[in-house]
Formats: sequence, structure tokens, C-alpha cells
Amino acid sequence: MSEIGISMPNVTVRGPEAPRNLESLDPVFQVEDLSVFYGDYEAVRNVDMTIGNREITAMIGPSGCGKSTVLRCFNRMNDLIPGARAAGKITYHGEDLYGDHVDPIEVRRRIGMVFQKPNPFPKSIYDNIAYGPRVNGMKGKMDDLVEQALTQAALWDEVKDKLKQNALSLSGGQQQRLCIARAIAVKPEVILMDEPCSALDPIATTKIEDLMQELSRDYTIVIVTHNMQQAARVSDRTAFFTAEVDEAGVRHGRLVEFDETSRIFTNPADKRTEDYITGRFG
Amino acid sequence: MAILTTPKSAVQLAGQGRPLREHVFRIALLSSLVIALGFLALLLVYVVQDGWPRLDSALWENQPSIRRPETAGIQSGIFGTLWIIALTALMALPTGILAAVYLEEYADKTKWYNRLIELNISNLAAVPSIVYGILGLGLIARWMQFGFTVMTGAMTISLLVLPIVIISAREAIKAVPPSIREGSLALGATQWQTIWRQVLPAAVPGMATGSILALSRAIGEAAPFLMLGAATLVRFNPEGVWSSFTVLPIQIYSFISQSREEFHVLAAAAIVILLAILLLMNSVAIWLRNRYQKRW
Repeated sequence: MSEIGISMPNVTVRGPEAPRNLESLDPVFQVEDLSVFYGDYEAVRNVDMTIGNREITAMIGPSGCGKSTVLRCFNRMNDLIPGARAAGKITYHGEDLYGDHVDPIEVRRRIGMVFQKPNPFPKSIYDNIAYGPRVNGMKGKMDDLVEQALTQAALWDEVKDKLKQNALSLSGGQQQRLCIARAIAVKPEVILMDEPCSALDPIATTKIEDLMQELSRDYTIVIVTHNMQQAARVSDRTAFFTAEVDEAGVRHGRLVEFDETSRIFTNPADKRTEDYITGRFG
Repeated sequence: MAILTTPKSAVQLAGQGRPLREHVFRIALLSSLVIALGFLALLLVYVVQDGWPRLDSALWENQPSIRRPETAGIQSGIFGTLWIIALTALMALPTGILAAVYLEEYADKTKWYNRLIELNISNLAAVPSIVYGILGLGLIARWMQFGFTVMTGAMTISLLVLPIVIISAREAIKAVPPSIREGSLALGATQWQTIWRQVLPAAVPGMATGSILALSRAIGEAAPFLMLGAATLVRFNPEGVWSSFTVLPIQIYSFISQSREEFHVLAAAAIVILLAILLLMNSVAIWLRNRYQKRW
């Protein structure tokens, strides 16, 4: 992968071999004035952003800035937390994700998720992949589906001889790629990733990053990361969040800036973004 | 200050010797263990020694008899106990596990009535077994007119073990990491699919262990059966759930209240059988726990 060095040290942005026409953004999600509450506490306030089709969108920012909270709104995982609710609007292909007639189960089938800590089921590798298609009543040859998902997740060669083995016997990096394969197996359109590499070593991280690049040809990816270099390396657009204390002394997550990754990392519009990515803050 | 002075030799690794306190504490711990295990061993030796002359095949081949204690057996008691345990397992385990699933996976813990239910289950587990006997007598034997049958006994014992089954099943369900549920739900599985295909299979070993321990506690119960008005001399095995019956602890109790020495030997032999069943069940529980222990 060729990398173009830019003015900031240690930061490279996605190379030109993955050319994208970022000007004509084909929106999958549109977030309008989104606020997320846990009980009475407003965790994130007034977020506006657009997630483009088959792009990788990164959400970065310090701890407690609400980036994971926003991510979990995209597949309505926040519904599972008692007292959590979203105000404002998120549309998915123009349809209100929080509309009355929307079934969160169906939402989650179309919008997959990979978590911070690899969480394979305590079952065989094969059954981990086959679980999603099975619960969704998908027809077709399961063996082919499993092979296809594992191949797409760049794991097939490593596990093809031990599909019956318990998934927990895999290494951390392999487990995370298994979780990605598991998400792919239900044929979603979007894959949400919540700090997918934070529990992995650098080599495993590189593999996952390469995989993300591969997957972005077919899938829309939204990734939350603590690692700015990772955002710079893999993403097309970056949203920078921060936590702000309001007049009453309560912390809220805010979206500071949302733009093409190259611009966020080379010529950010906001002083706070610049301070964060140059390491003066956070 | 002495601590701040530079030591003459490079490093001082020699300790000051273990303080006496450490030793005393260790000895106290060890002697507690010895006392607990010692008395158990003593009891076992004593019972086996007493019952040895009657630990023969007649013990489980023959029925109890008042007139011929030297050849009397305890077959009706063994079968009665097995019937009660099997029927109790059939009634209490599904009910207890489903109740635990409700409390862990569905109940909104911020609601007062769910907290009240939780509190009461913990309290019920501590209620003396004779109280369950009174309940069984009044409600099941008399009001429901089930009489003194296997069904009445098993229903009463089910009520007795239900709180313990619920508590241990809840612990087993709680031990399944939330990340497993999230992983399943994120794939578009419904809550029921998640519980049925992920949570319950992962919790089965823990639930099985807890259930077996609860049932083995029930095996040793005599008080509720006395309350229900157990017959002390039953010379036939139960033929169904509406049959009258006796259980081992009642049998043992009735032998001991006889004056002839042979009955006391018989009672000791019956205790050995009861202990053997208990140890067997507990070993299965331990085996299950070790065999299926999950490592996340």
C-alpha cells in the first residue's frame, strides 16, 4: 500500500489506489439533530452527519465523547439499555430508523456490528458463522455460506481444517476476524465496528485494517476508534467528537467536525480538532 | 531516618522472618478444615460399622417388616425416594429455570414488584422445611384432596426446592457474559432465540449443578413428610403417582424409634444407602461442573 506523507507527523491518509469520488456522497444514513439520553442524562447532543454508501466513516474523539453511543444508534443496540432513548432523527435510505413500524430485529439484520472485545459464541467456528443465517431463516447451502463468509473475512485459509473446533481456541485477532465473518454471513449492508482493534496487537490490527479496506468495496463501514492513525489510514470521512461541559456543569458529547478524512487530518476547520489530532489534547 | 540511608551492601533481600500471626492464622484455618472433615469421617465410620452386618442384598431386595428385623429390607423406601426425586425434578426444574429466565432476562429490575419477587424468593429459600410440610398438608393433601400420595409428596418437595433451583439457575444465567447476548442480538436474532440458543446452552452446566445439589438436599428431608402424615410401614413399592409411599429418611426414623437392637443396625444400613445416593448425586454435580466449565 503506497502512502502519501502529509504535513502532520506519523499520520498517513488512505492511498490513491482506492480512489473515491467523495464529492457525490450517496447517503446510507442521515443523522439530523440526534441527541441520546440515558434516563435524564443527555449523553450526546445535536449530532448531524451523513454516512456515505460503501465508504468508511471513522468516529474519533476522547473517552466519554459519545462516539460509541452514536454508533449504537445506527443498529438500535441502545434499545437494549433500559432508559436509553434517541431524540432527533436518523434515516436509513430515507426511512426513519426510529419510526413506529420499524422492527429493531430487522434493522440489526441489515446493519451488522463488531464489538470492541472479540465475542465469539462458545461454539464451533462453523456454528459461529452459521448462527446468524440460521436465526434469520436464510435458505441455501450452509457450507458454502460459511466458506464464503470466512473467505471474505480473510480467515478461511487459517481455519478451513478446523471448522469443528471451538472458536475460543482461536487467537484474539482470529476471533475478531471470525466476528467480522459472522457479521458478513447474514449479508448486511452496513458493518458497524466499535473499536474493533483495541484488544489486539499491532499485527492483528494491520490484518483487520486491510480487511476493512477490502470490505469497503461491498459494505458501508462505520468505525469508532481511539486510534487517530487508524482513522487516518482506513477512513474516507472522519467525525471528530469531544465532550463539553455545559452551563449546569454536565458533560455532553458533541460532534465538532465532520469532513473528508484528508481534510480533518491536514486542514481541520476547528481549533479543537487540530489540538486533538496534533496531540495537544486528549 | 534509617530508611533513607544508603545500604552498605547492594540489596537486602533477607526478610524479617514470617511473623507469628501468619502461622497462627494458618493453623486456625487448617484446624477448622480438620474439624469439619474429621467429624464427617467419624460419622461415616460409625454408621458403616453399625450397619455393616445388614449391608447385604436383603436390604434392597426385601420390604420392611416389624416382626423380622433381621431379614427386613428398605426396598419401598429406596423406590419411594427415587419416585419423589424423579417427579420433583420433572416439576421443579422446568418451573425454576423458566422463572430464573424471566427474572434475569425479562424482568425490569427498576419495577418494585420485580424487586419484591426477588426478595421473596431469597426468603423462601430460608423457610424451614417443616413449614412446607404444613403447606403441603393443608393445600395439596387436604384442600386439593390428593391425600398422602407420591404426587402430594413430590409437589411439596418441589415447592421446597423451587427457590433454591431459581437462585442457582439465576446465578448460572448471570455468569453468561453480556457480550454473548449482544453478539447474538446484533446478528438480528430475537430475544427468545438469543436465550434459547445462546444463553441457556451456556448456562446448562451451572444450572445442572445447582439443580442436583437442590435435589440432593430434598432427598434427606424427613420433616415435610412427617407433617404430611407419612406411613411408617409401607410394604410395597409405589406403582404410580397416586400410590402411597415412604421415603428413606422416614423409614430410618421409624426403625430408630423401635426398641429392638436389630432395627438400629437396619437403620444404620439404611443411612449408608441414603448417603451413597447423596454422594453419587453430588459427584455427578461436581463432574458436570468440571466437564463443562466455560472459559471466556
